[in-house]
Amino acid sequence: MNIQKQQAMRNVLVALSPLCLAAIYLFGWRFVAVLAVVGASGLLSEWLMARRYQVKVTESVFVSCVLFALSLPPGIPLWMAALGIAFGIVFGKMVFGGFGKNVFNPAITARAFVYISFGVPMTARFINPQIALNWFPAGFGTWLTGADSVSAATPMATGAVPHLNLLLGFTSGSFGETSALLIILGGAYIIYKKAANWKIVAGSLLSFLVLQTILWAAGHPNAHDPLYALLSGSFLLGAFFMITDPISSSQSTDMGRWIYGILFGLLTVAIRVFSNWAEGVTFAILLANMFGPLFDHYLKQAKAKKKAAAKAKTGGAA
Amino acid sequence: MSDIFFPLAVFFAAVFTNNILLTNYLGMCSFLSVSKELETSAGLGIAVTFVMAVTTALNWLVYEFVLVPFQLEYLRFIVFIIVIAAFVQLIEMIIERYSEGLYFALGIFLPLITVNCAILGASLFMVIREYTFMTSFFFGLGSGLGWFLAILAMAGIRQRLRTAKIPAGLEGPGISLVIAGFMAMAFMGFNGMITIS
Repeated sequence: MNIQKQQAMRNVLVALSPLCLAAIYLFGWRFVAVLAVVGASGLLSEWLMARRYQVKVTESVFVSCVLFALSLPPGIPLWMAALGIAFGIVFGKMVFGGFGKNVFNPAITARAFVYISFGVPMTARFINPQIALNWFPAGFGTWLTGADSVSAATPMATGAVPHLNLLLGFTSGSFGETSALLIILGGAYIIYKKAANWKIVAGSLLSFLVLQTILWAAGHPNAHDPLYALLSGSFLLGAFFMITDPISSSQSTDMGRWIYGILFGLLTVAIRVFSNWAEGVTFAILLANMFGPLFDHYLKQAKAKKKAAAKAKTGGAA
Repeated sequence: MSDIFFPLAVFFAAVFTNNILLTNYLGMCSFLSVSKELETSAGLGIAVTFVMAVTTALNWLVYEFVLVPFQLEYLRFIVFIIVIAAFVQLIEMIIERYSEGLYFALGIFLPLITVNCAILGASLFMVIREYTFMTSFFFGLGSGLGWFLAILAMAGIRQRLRTAKIPAGLEGPGISLVIAGFMAMAFMGFNGMITIS
Protein backbone atom coordinates (compact mmCIF):
# COMPACT_ATOMS: atom_id res chain seq x y z
CA MET A 1 0.00 0.00 0.00
CA ASN A 2 1.27 3.39 -0.96
CA ILE A 3 0.57 6.08 1.58
CA GLN A 4 1.05 9.71 0.69
CA LYS A 5 3.31 11.51 3.13
CA GLN A 6 1.97 14.65 4.80
CA GLN A 7 4.28 16.56 7.13
CA ALA A 8 1.49 18.63 8.74
CA MET A 9 -0.36 15.45 9.63
CA ARG A 10 2.79 13.99 11.20
CA ASN A 11 3.11 17.08 13.38
CA VAL A 12 -0.45 16.61 14.56
CA LEU A 13 0.26 12.97 15.36
CA VAL A 14 3.29 14.00 17.42
CA ALA A 15 1.12 16.49 19.30
CA LEU A 16 -1.50 13.82 19.95
CA SER A 17 0.91 11.18 21.23
CA PRO A 18 1.11 12.54 24.82
CA LEU A 19 -2.67 12.38 24.92
CA CYS A 20 -2.57 8.75 23.88
CA LEU A 21 -0.04 7.95 26.58
CA ALA A 22 -2.16 9.81 29.12
CA ALA A 23 -5.19 7.81 28.02
CA ILE A 24 -3.31 4.57 28.70
CA TYR A 25 -2.09 5.90 32.04
CA LEU A 26 -5.50 7.10 33.15
CA PHE A 27 -7.84 4.52 31.71
CA GLY A 28 -5.75 1.42 31.13
CA TRP A 29 -4.60 -0.76 28.25
CA ARG A 30 -8.02 -0.92 26.69
CA PHE A 31 -7.21 2.32 24.88
CA VAL A 32 -4.57 0.48 22.85
CA ALA A 33 -7.17 -2.03 21.74
CA VAL A 34 -9.61 0.73 20.78
CA LEU A 35 -6.90 2.60 18.91
CA ALA A 36 -5.82 -0.53 17.06
CA VAL A 37 -9.38 -1.42 16.04
CA VAL A 38 -10.15 2.13 14.96
CA GLY A 39 -6.88 2.42 13.05
CA ALA A 40 -7.37 -0.88 11.24
CA SER A 41 -10.98 -0.16 10.35
CA GLY A 42 -10.23 3.40 9.23
CA LEU A 43 -7.25 2.42 7.12
CA LEU A 44 -9.13 -0.46 5.54
CA SER A 45 -12.10 1.73 4.57
CA GLU A 46 -9.85 4.42 3.15
CA TRP A 47 -7.79 1.87 1.25
CA LEU A 48 -10.83 0.12 -0.25
CA MET A 49 -12.38 3.40 -1.39
CA ALA A 50 -9.07 4.78 -2.64
CA ARG A 51 -8.39 1.66 -4.67
CA ARG A 52 -11.82 1.71 -6.27
CA TYR A 53 -11.76 5.42 -7.15
CA GLN A 54 -8.08 5.89 -7.92
CA VAL A 55 -7.14 8.35 -5.23
CA LYS A 56 -4.24 8.12 -2.83
CA VAL A 57 -4.38 6.91 0.74
CA THR A 58 -3.07 9.84 2.76
CA GLU A 59 -1.59 10.09 6.23
CA SER A 60 -4.52 12.23 7.29
CA VAL A 61 -6.45 9.02 7.88
CA PHE A 62 -4.23 8.30 10.91
CA VAL A 63 -5.01 11.70 12.39
CA SER A 64 -8.73 11.08 11.93
CA CYS A 65 -8.41 7.66 13.58
CA VAL A 66 -6.42 8.91 16.57
CA LEU A 67 -8.72 11.89 17.11
CA PHE A 68 -11.78 9.66 16.89
CA ALA A 69 -10.32 7.11 19.31
CA LEU A 70 -9.45 9.88 21.75
CA SER A 71 -12.98 11.23 21.62
CA LEU A 72 -14.61 7.94 22.64
CA PRO A 73 -15.69 7.04 26.17
CA PRO A 74 -13.47 4.33 27.75
CA GLY A 75 -16.22 1.73 27.90
CA ILE A 76 -17.09 1.89 24.21
CA PRO A 77 -17.70 -1.54 22.62
CA LEU A 78 -15.00 -2.19 20.03
CA TRP A 79 -17.37 -2.93 17.16
CA MET A 80 -19.01 0.47 17.62
CA ALA A 81 -15.65 2.16 17.37
CA ALA A 82 -14.85 0.24 14.19
CA LEU A 83 -18.23 1.01 12.64
CA GLY A 84 -18.01 4.67 13.56
CA ILE A 85 -14.66 5.34 11.94
CA ALA A 86 -15.63 3.37 8.83
CA PHE A 87 -18.66 5.64 8.47
CA GLY A 88 -16.57 8.73 9.11
CA ILE A 89 -13.93 7.84 6.55
CA VAL A 90 -16.29 6.61 3.82
CA PHE A 91 -19.14 9.12 4.14
CA GLY A 92 -17.25 11.95 5.78
CA LYS A 93 -14.32 11.96 3.40
CA MET A 94 -14.10 9.48 0.57
CA VAL A 95 -17.48 10.14 -1.05
CA PHE A 96 -16.42 13.77 -1.45
CA GLY A 97 -13.39 12.68 -3.42
CA GLY A 98 -10.94 11.92 -0.65
CA PHE A 99 -8.45 14.09 1.22
CA GLY A 100 -8.67 17.80 0.51
CA LYS A 101 -12.29 17.78 -0.55
CA ASN A 102 -14.17 16.73 2.55
CA VAL A 103 -16.64 19.30 3.82
CA PHE A 104 -17.01 17.84 7.28
CA ASN A 105 -14.22 16.68 9.56
CA PRO A 106 -14.16 12.85 9.22
CA ALA A 107 -13.31 12.23 12.88
CA ILE A 108 -16.20 14.37 14.05
CA THR A 109 -18.70 12.92 11.58
CA ALA A 110 -17.71 9.52 12.91
CA ARG A 111 -18.24 10.68 16.45
CA ALA A 112 -21.57 12.35 15.68
CA PHE A 113 -22.70 9.15 13.99
CA VAL A 114 -22.01 6.92 16.98
CA TYR A 115 -23.22 9.62 19.39
CA ILE A 116 -26.62 9.76 17.72
CA SER A 117 -26.93 6.07 16.92
CA PHE A 118 -25.78 4.56 20.21
CA GLY A 119 -26.80 7.02 22.89
CA VAL A 120 -26.33 4.93 26.00
CA PRO A 121 -22.80 3.54 25.46
CA MET A 122 -21.68 7.00 24.38
CA THR A 123 -23.09 8.99 27.26
CA ALA A 124 -23.92 6.80 30.21
CA ARG A 125 -20.87 4.61 30.67
CA PHE A 126 -18.06 6.91 31.66
CA ILE A 127 -15.45 5.74 34.08
CA ASN A 128 -13.83 7.71 36.81
CA PRO A 129 -10.16 6.86 37.21
CA GLN A 130 -10.15 8.36 40.68
CA ILE A 131 -12.69 5.97 42.13
CA ALA A 132 -10.60 2.88 41.58
CA LEU A 133 -6.98 3.77 42.03
CA ASN A 134 -6.56 7.44 42.76
CA TRP A 135 -3.72 9.57 41.39
CA PHE A 136 -0.92 7.07 41.29
CA PRO A 137 -0.74 4.77 39.46
CA ALA A 138 -4.19 5.82 38.18
CA GLY A 139 -5.24 3.25 35.62
CA PHE A 140 -1.76 2.30 34.53
CA GLY A 141 -1.22 -1.40 34.05
CA THR A 142 -4.89 -2.30 34.22
CA TRP A 143 -7.06 -3.30 31.28
CA LEU A 144 -9.79 -0.77 32.00
CA THR A 145 -9.64 1.38 35.11
CA GLY A 146 -12.31 0.45 37.61
CA ALA A 147 -14.43 -1.30 35.06
CA ASP A 148 -17.03 -1.99 37.72
CA SER A 149 -17.41 1.65 38.66
CA VAL A 150 -19.30 2.76 35.59
CA SER A 151 -21.16 6.00 36.06
CA ALA A 152 -23.17 8.36 33.95
CA ALA A 153 -21.81 11.49 35.48
CA THR A 154 -19.02 13.32 33.70
CA PRO A 155 -17.77 16.57 35.20
CA MET A 156 -20.00 18.29 32.63
CA ALA A 157 -23.05 16.97 34.42
CA THR A 158 -22.01 17.10 38.06
CA GLY A 159 -20.02 20.31 38.13
CA ALA A 160 -18.19 19.12 41.21
CA VAL A 161 -14.65 18.16 40.26
CA PRO A 162 -11.70 20.23 41.52
CA HIS A 163 -10.20 22.47 38.85
CA LEU A 164 -6.77 20.92 39.32
CA ASN A 165 -8.13 17.48 38.47
CA LEU A 166 -9.68 18.85 35.31
CA LEU A 167 -6.41 20.45 34.32
CA LEU A 168 -4.38 17.32 34.87
CA GLY A 169 -6.95 14.84 33.65
CA PHE A 170 -7.91 12.90 36.77
CA THR A 171 -11.57 12.87 36.07
CA SER A 172 -14.09 10.93 34.05
CA GLY A 173 -14.64 11.57 30.39
CA SER A 174 -13.57 10.37 26.98
CA PHE A 175 -10.10 8.87 26.53
CA GLY A 176 -8.35 12.00 25.37
CA GLU A 177 -10.43 14.90 26.58
CA THR A 178 -9.70 14.81 30.29
CA SER A 179 -6.23 16.30 30.49
CA ALA A 180 -6.55 19.97 29.58
CA LEU A 181 -2.85 20.57 30.21
CA LEU A 182 -1.66 18.03 27.65
CA ILE A 183 -4.19 19.25 25.09
CA ILE A 184 -2.95 22.82 25.47
CA LEU A 185 0.69 21.71 25.17
CA GLY A 186 -0.03 19.62 22.09
CA GLY A 187 -2.12 22.43 20.65
CA ALA A 188 0.67 24.92 21.21
CA TYR A 189 3.03 22.58 19.38
CA ILE A 190 0.87 22.30 16.26
CA ILE A 191 0.28 26.05 16.24
CA TYR A 192 4.04 26.56 16.48
CA LYS A 193 4.53 24.10 13.63
CA LYS A 194 1.82 25.91 11.65
CA ALA A 195 -0.30 22.78 11.32
CA ALA A 196 -3.08 24.72 13.05
CA ASN A 197 -3.94 28.37 12.72
CA TRP A 198 -3.86 30.39 15.95
CA LYS A 199 -6.63 32.73 14.82
CA ILE A 200 -9.22 29.96 14.79
CA VAL A 201 -8.14 28.78 18.24
CA ALA A 202 -8.07 32.31 19.68
CA GLY A 203 -11.46 33.15 18.21
CA SER A 204 -13.08 30.06 19.64
CA LEU A 205 -11.51 30.38 23.11
CA LEU A 206 -12.40 34.07 23.42
CA SER A 207 -15.99 33.72 22.27
CA PHE A 208 -16.44 30.64 24.45
CA LEU A 209 -15.22 32.45 27.55
CA VAL A 210 -17.24 35.59 26.86
CA LEU A 211 -20.57 33.83 26.35
CA GLN A 212 -19.95 31.39 29.19
CA THR A 213 -19.11 34.25 31.56
CA ILE A 214 -22.27 36.11 30.58
CA LEU A 215 -24.50 33.08 31.12
CA TRP A 216 -22.74 32.16 34.35
CA ALA A 217 -23.02 35.70 35.70
CA ALA A 218 -26.69 35.73 34.73
CA GLY A 219 -27.08 32.68 36.93
CA HIS A 220 -28.26 30.13 34.39
CA PRO A 221 -28.53 26.78 36.20
CA ASN A 222 -26.74 24.87 33.43
CA ALA A 223 -23.81 27.25 33.18
CA HIS A 224 -20.73 26.31 35.19
CA ASP A 225 -18.08 28.91 35.93
CA PRO A 226 -16.09 29.77 32.78
CA LEU A 227 -12.83 28.14 33.81
CA TYR A 228 -14.57 24.93 34.82
CA ALA A 229 -16.50 24.87 31.56
CA LEU A 230 -13.34 25.45 29.58
CA LEU A 231 -11.41 22.65 31.25
CA SER A 232 -14.17 20.06 31.35
CA GLY A 233 -15.60 18.21 28.40
CA SER A 234 -14.01 18.13 24.99
CA PHE A 235 -14.02 21.83 24.12
CA LEU A 236 -10.24 22.25 24.23
CA LEU A 237 -9.67 19.12 22.17
CA GLY A 238 -12.11 20.45 19.60
CA ALA A 239 -10.70 23.95 19.59
CA PHE A 240 -7.07 22.90 19.13
CA PHE A 241 -7.31 19.73 17.08
CA MET A 242 -10.65 19.47 15.35
CA ILE A 243 -11.79 22.82 14.03
CA THR A 244 -8.27 23.75 13.01
CA ASP A 245 -8.26 20.94 10.45
CA PRO A 246 -6.95 22.63 7.29
CA ILE A 247 -9.57 21.13 4.98
CA SER A 248 -13.00 21.34 6.49
CA SER A 249 -12.59 24.74 8.13
CA SER A 250 -12.88 28.17 6.61
CA GLN A 251 -9.24 28.80 5.78
CA SER A 252 -9.07 31.08 2.79
CA THR A 253 -9.19 34.42 4.61
CA ASP A 254 -8.11 35.61 8.07
CA MET A 255 -11.53 37.11 8.64
CA GLY A 256 -13.06 33.75 7.82
CA ARG A 257 -10.81 32.08 10.40
CA TRP A 258 -11.90 34.47 13.13
CA ILE A 259 -15.59 34.14 12.31
CA TYR A 260 -15.24 30.38 12.08
CA GLY A 261 -13.59 30.11 15.49
CA ILE A 262 -16.04 32.50 17.11
CA LEU A 263 -19.00 30.61 15.69
CA PHE A 264 -17.64 27.35 17.08
CA GLY A 265 -17.14 28.83 20.56
CA LEU A 266 -20.58 30.41 20.72
CA LEU A 267 -22.36 27.32 19.42
CA THR A 268 -20.59 25.06 21.90
CA VAL A 269 -21.73 27.15 24.84
CA ALA A 270 -25.25 27.53 23.47
CA ILE A 271 -25.69 23.80 22.88
CA ARG A 272 -24.17 22.86 26.24
CA VAL A 273 -26.32 25.25 28.20
CA PHE A 274 -29.63 25.24 26.36
CA SER A 275 -30.06 21.96 24.51
CA ASN A 276 -30.79 18.40 25.59
CA TRP A 277 -27.20 17.34 25.04
CA ALA A 278 -24.62 17.60 27.78
CA GLU A 279 -21.77 18.21 25.36
CA GLY A 280 -22.06 20.53 22.38
CA VAL A 281 -18.64 20.26 20.78
CA THR A 282 -19.51 17.56 18.26
CA PHE A 283 -22.51 19.42 16.88
CA ALA A 284 -20.84 22.81 17.06
CA ILE A 285 -18.01 21.53 14.86
CA LEU A 286 -20.44 20.04 12.34
CA LEU A 287 -22.40 23.30 12.23
CA ALA A 288 -19.25 25.35 11.79
CA ASN A 289 -18.09 22.97 9.03
CA MET A 290 -21.45 23.35 7.37
CA PHE A 291 -21.26 27.13 7.13
CA GLY A 292 -17.52 27.32 6.47
CA PRO A 293 -17.76 27.28 2.65
CA LEU A 294 -20.24 30.17 2.80
CA PHE A 295 -17.83 32.38 4.74
CA ASP A 296 -15.11 31.43 2.31
CA HIS A 297 -17.18 32.38 -0.68
CA TYR A 298 -18.55 35.70 0.57
CA LEU A 299 -15.32 36.87 2.19
CA LYS A 300 -13.30 36.05 -0.90
CA GLN A 301 -15.84 37.91 -2.98
CA ALA A 302 -15.69 40.93 -0.68
CA LYS A 303 -11.90 40.87 -0.78
CA ALA A 304 -11.85 40.74 -4.56
CA LYS A 305 -14.27 43.64 -4.72
CA LYS A 306 -12.17 45.70 -2.33
CA LYS A 307 -9.07 44.97 -4.36
CA ALA A 308 -10.80 45.94 -7.58
CA ALA A 309 -12.08 49.15 -6.00
CA ALA A 310 -8.61 50.04 -4.70
CA LYS A 311 -7.13 49.34 -8.10
CA ALA A 312 -9.72 51.51 -9.81
CA LYS A 313 -8.99 54.29 -7.34
CA THR A 314 -5.23 54.29 -7.82
CA GLY A 315 -5.71 53.86 -11.54
CA GLY A 316 -7.98 56.91 -11.60
CA ALA A 317 -5.49 58.99 -9.57
CA ALA A 318 -2.64 58.12 -11.88
CA MET B 1 -43.61 30.85 28.57
CA SER B 2 -45.41 34.17 28.59
CA ASP B 3 -47.75 34.95 25.70
CA ILE B 4 -45.86 37.97 24.44
CA PHE B 5 -42.66 36.06 23.88
CA PHE B 6 -44.26 32.95 22.50
CA PRO B 7 -44.25 34.10 18.84
CA LEU B 8 -40.57 34.94 19.21
CA ALA B 9 -39.80 31.54 20.69
CA VAL B 10 -41.68 29.92 17.83
CA PHE B 11 -39.68 32.02 15.40
CA PHE B 12 -36.33 30.83 16.74
CA ALA B 13 -37.57 27.29 17.02
CA ALA B 14 -38.66 27.38 13.39
CA VAL B 15 -35.22 28.55 12.30
CA PHE B 16 -33.10 26.20 14.43
CA THR B 17 -34.66 23.44 16.51
CA ASN B 18 -37.59 22.66 14.23
CA ASN B 19 -36.05 23.67 10.92
CA ILE B 20 -38.66 22.79 8.34
CA LEU B 21 -36.09 21.41 5.92
CA LEU B 22 -33.60 19.70 8.19
CA THR B 23 -35.96 18.25 10.79
CA ASN B 24 -39.21 17.85 8.84
CA TYR B 25 -37.59 17.27 5.43
CA LEU B 26 -40.09 19.49 3.64
CA GLY B 27 -39.15 21.43 0.53
CA MET B 28 -36.54 18.86 -0.40
CA CYS B 29 -37.10 18.95 -4.17
CA SER B 30 -36.11 22.54 -4.82
CA PHE B 31 -33.49 22.29 -2.09
CA LEU B 32 -31.75 19.56 -4.05
CA SER B 33 -32.31 20.87 -7.56
CA VAL B 34 -31.68 24.61 -7.18
CA SER B 35 -28.72 24.54 -4.79
CA LYS B 36 -25.97 24.36 -7.42
CA GLU B 37 -25.25 28.09 -7.47
CA LEU B 38 -25.04 30.40 -4.49
CA GLU B 39 -26.64 33.38 -6.21
CA THR B 40 -29.73 31.53 -7.41
CA SER B 41 -30.11 29.75 -4.09
CA ALA B 42 -30.04 33.07 -2.29
CA GLY B 43 -32.70 34.42 -4.67
CA LEU B 44 -34.93 31.43 -4.13
CA GLY B 45 -34.33 31.53 -0.39
CA ILE B 46 -35.44 35.15 -0.13
CA ALA B 47 -38.51 34.47 -2.25
CA VAL B 48 -39.47 31.44 -0.15
CA THR B 49 -39.02 33.37 3.10
CA PHE B 50 -41.23 36.18 1.90
CA VAL B 51 -43.96 33.98 0.48
CA MET B 52 -43.97 31.64 3.45
CA ALA B 53 -44.31 34.44 5.98
CA VAL B 54 -47.18 36.11 4.14
CA THR B 55 -49.09 33.02 3.04
CA THR B 56 -48.99 31.47 6.49
CA ALA B 57 -50.61 34.61 7.87
CA LEU B 58 -53.07 34.77 4.96
CA ASN B 59 -54.00 31.14 5.35
CA TRP B 60 -54.58 31.71 9.04
CA LEU B 61 -57.11 34.41 8.21
CA VAL B 62 -58.78 32.25 5.59
CA TYR B 63 -58.91 29.29 7.93
CA GLU B 64 -60.27 31.16 10.93
CA PHE B 65 -62.75 33.40 9.14
CA VAL B 66 -63.90 31.29 6.21
CA LEU B 67 -63.26 27.60 6.73
CA VAL B 68 -64.04 27.30 10.42
CA PRO B 69 -67.33 29.30 10.40
CA PHE B 70 -68.65 27.26 7.47
CA GLN B 71 -67.25 24.01 8.87
CA LEU B 72 -65.20 23.43 5.77
CA GLU B 73 -61.94 22.51 7.55
CA TYR B 74 -61.64 19.38 5.43
CA LEU B 75 -61.10 21.61 2.39
CA ARG B 76 -58.01 23.22 3.87
CA PHE B 77 -55.53 21.42 1.60
CA ILE B 78 -57.14 22.71 -1.57
CA VAL B 79 -57.92 26.15 -0.20
CA PHE B 80 -54.39 26.67 1.14
CA ILE B 81 -52.89 25.71 -2.19
CA ILE B 82 -55.20 28.09 -4.01
CA VAL B 83 -54.31 30.93 -1.63
CA ILE B 84 -50.59 30.26 -2.08
CA ALA B 85 -50.85 30.05 -5.86
CA ALA B 86 -53.00 33.17 -6.10
CA PHE B 87 -50.67 35.11 -3.85
CA VAL B 88 -47.60 34.09 -5.78
CA GLN B 89 -49.29 35.02 -9.04
CA LEU B 90 -50.26 38.40 -7.66
CA ILE B 91 -46.75 39.07 -6.40
CA GLU B 92 -45.32 38.09 -9.73
CA MET B 93 -47.57 40.57 -11.52
CA ILE B 94 -46.77 43.35 -9.06
CA ILE B 95 -43.03 42.75 -9.33
CA GLU B 96 -43.20 42.64 -13.09
CA ARG B 97 -45.05 45.95 -13.15
CA TYR B 98 -42.87 47.84 -10.69
CA SER B 99 -39.43 46.26 -10.68
CA GLU B 100 -38.31 44.60 -13.84
CA GLY B 101 -34.81 43.96 -12.47
CA LEU B 102 -36.11 41.94 -9.54
CA TYR B 103 -38.54 40.16 -11.80
CA PHE B 104 -35.79 38.86 -14.02
CA ALA B 105 -33.56 38.13 -11.05
CA LEU B 106 -36.21 35.91 -9.49
CA GLY B 107 -37.18 34.49 -12.86
CA ILE B 108 -38.58 31.02 -12.64
CA PHE B 109 -38.37 30.88 -8.85
CA LEU B 110 -41.56 32.71 -8.06
CA PRO B 111 -43.81 30.25 -9.94
CA LEU B 112 -41.68 27.39 -8.60
CA ILE B 113 -42.50 28.39 -5.05
CA THR B 114 -46.15 27.50 -5.57
CA VAL B 115 -45.21 23.86 -5.63
CA ASN B 116 -42.74 24.01 -2.74
CA CYS B 117 -44.21 21.68 -0.18
CA ALA B 118 -42.55 23.52 2.70
CA ILE B 119 -44.92 26.44 2.11
CA LEU B 120 -48.02 24.29 2.34
CA GLY B 121 -46.40 22.41 5.21
CA ALA B 122 -45.97 25.60 7.24
CA SER B 123 -49.66 26.43 6.79
CA LEU B 124 -50.74 22.95 7.82
CA PHE B 125 -48.46 22.91 10.88
CA MET B 126 -49.96 26.20 11.96
CA VAL B 127 -53.42 24.62 11.91
CA ILE B 128 -52.37 21.45 13.72
CA ARG B 129 -50.51 23.37 16.40
CA GLU B 130 -53.34 25.89 16.82
CA TYR B 131 -51.19 28.99 16.59
CA THR B 132 -52.59 32.48 16.92
CA PHE B 133 -52.30 34.98 14.07
CA MET B 134 -49.09 36.59 15.33
CA THR B 135 -47.51 33.24 16.11
CA SER B 136 -48.45 31.93 12.67
CA PHE B 137 -46.79 34.86 10.98
CA PHE B 138 -43.58 34.44 12.97
CA PHE B 139 -43.70 30.70 12.42
CA GLY B 140 -43.93 31.26 8.65
CA LEU B 141 -41.14 33.82 8.73
CA GLY B 142 -38.92 31.59 10.85
CA SER B 143 -39.56 28.51 8.73
CA GLY B 144 -38.73 30.50 5.61
CA LEU B 145 -35.52 31.83 7.12
CA GLY B 146 -34.58 28.35 8.29
CA TRP B 147 -35.11 27.06 4.77
CA PHE B 148 -33.08 29.97 3.40
CA LEU B 149 -30.22 29.23 5.79
CA ALA B 150 -30.19 25.56 4.86
CA ILE B 151 -30.20 26.08 1.10
CA LEU B 152 -27.51 28.75 1.41
CA ALA B 153 -25.23 26.40 3.34
CA MET B 154 -25.94 23.63 0.86
CA ALA B 155 -25.13 25.87 -2.10
CA GLY B 156 -21.91 26.99 -0.44
CA ILE B 157 -20.86 23.39 0.06
CA ARG B 158 -21.80 22.34 -3.47
CA GLN B 159 -19.99 25.30 -4.93
CA ARG B 160 -16.87 24.21 -3.05
CA LEU B 161 -17.27 20.66 -4.29
CA ARG B 162 -17.30 21.70 -7.92
CA THR B 163 -13.70 20.61 -8.42
CA ALA B 164 -14.04 17.52 -6.27
CA LYS B 165 -13.76 14.09 -7.80
CA ILE B 166 -16.97 12.58 -6.54
CA PRO B 167 -17.53 8.86 -7.18
CA ALA B 168 -19.55 8.44 -10.37
CA GLY B 169 -22.62 6.90 -8.77
CA LEU B 170 -22.96 9.70 -6.25
CA GLU B 171 -22.70 12.73 -8.48
CA GLY B 172 -25.52 15.27 -8.32
CA PRO B 173 -28.47 14.26 -6.15
CA GLY B 174 -26.54 11.45 -4.44
CA ILE B 175 -23.88 13.60 -2.86
CA SER B 176 -26.46 16.30 -2.13
CA LEU B 177 -28.46 13.83 -0.09
CA VAL B 178 -25.33 12.78 1.78
CA ILE B 179 -24.62 16.43 2.56
CA ALA B 180 -28.23 17.02 3.57
CA GLY B 181 -27.92 14.08 5.94
CA PHE B 182 -24.86 15.61 7.60
CA MET B 183 -26.59 18.96 7.83
CA ALA B 184 -29.58 17.36 9.52
CA MET B 185 -27.16 15.60 11.87
CA ALA B 186 -25.55 18.93 12.73
CA PHE B 187 -28.92 20.53 13.35
CA MET B 188 -29.75 17.77 15.82
CA GLY B 189 -27.44 19.68 18.13
CA PHE B 190 -30.19 22.25 18.62
CA ASN B 191 -32.50 19.55 20.02
CA GLY B 192 -34.39 20.73 23.02
CA MET B 193 -33.11 24.30 23.00
CA ILE B 194 -36.61 25.65 22.58
CA THR B 195 -39.64 23.47 23.04
CA ILE B 196 -42.80 24.39 21.20
CA SER B 197 -45.84 22.20 21.25
